[in-house]
Amino acid sequence: MTLSVALGPDTRESTQTGTATSTDVLTAPDIPWNLVIWNDPVNLMSYVSYVFRSYFGYSETKANKLMMEVHKKGRSIVAHGSKEQVEQHAVAMHGYGLWATVEKATGGNGSGSGKGKGKRG
Amino acid sequence: MAKAFKYGHKGIRGHLEPAERELLRSLFDDVISMLEPEERADEDPLAALVGLDTKAREPSDRALRRLLPNVMKNDDAASLEFRRYTERSLREGKIGALKAAALSLDREDLVLAPADARHWATALNDVRLVLAERLDIRDDADADNVHLMQDWSEAEDVESYLALVYNFTTWLQESLVQAMVHSLDARR
Repeated sequence: MTLSVALGPDTRESTQTGTATSTDVLTAPDIPWNLVIWNDPVNLMSYVSYVFRSYFGYSETKANKLMMEVHKKGRSIVAHGSKEQVEQHAVAMHGYGLWATVEKATGGNGSGSGKGKGKRG
Repeated sequence: MAKAFKYGHKGIRGHLEPAERELLRSLFDDVISMLEPEERADEDPLAALVGLDTKAREPSDRALRRLLPNVMKNDDAASLEFRRYTERSLREGKIGALKAAALSLDREDLVLAPADARHWATALNDVRLVLAERLDIRDDADADNVHLMQDWSEAEDVESYLALVYNFTTWLQESLVQAMVHSLDARR
């Protein structure tokens, strides 16, 4: 991701106040798919964070945390759900111009696909 | 000179010079023509109507592939299957946003309602994704290099001209997103 050319880095610093309030109702065990957002050198950090806030309804803190994870680690899992749910999210992200893919969650307790497998990089 | 977008009581307001409007119009049009699906004579009209495209393939053009990416990293067959159900409406959504943004360039006052602002943000983003492919921006270092190009009097070849256009659209999108964030904060 890239920082703005002219308007300064005020989107970069997000003060980590308290715990991010998770707005996703679903919890990990029974949901076997992830929505992954990948880093690219074009999308603005402010824009990515804005998309996470406005589309998923995430708090500013949570949106910035996920955005920074994409930026620093190259990817971030930003939502979980059924295959259909995360596919729908992926199309929405493509609509915004974010690079999104879906993948089967590994290491979950309930989905049974991760047994005996190491964590995916 | 263009002015940064600002959020105010009337919405998000911007200012662009006639030459900048012309530039943006042609950029939006370019991306629209990239995204417009080819008409096929053998197409099933009913399938087309419900957004199905049984002949969809992964685009060979890099820029188009970035606009319409595969939905799975390591499963081309599943990605293709998914593409056949979703790509047409994705293209149409993007074209709709680009056309809406182009249309608002005709108005004297550039005042964007929330829906207009969203169209502008995605339209500018898609333009930047395409320009970045043409400029071969592969990583942050490439992006930084392109950012160094700021002086229009130094534009002497296509490459440097594209870099300046990229930087202009980046600046414009950043100012728009800042204004959209303000409007998001104001509504809370």
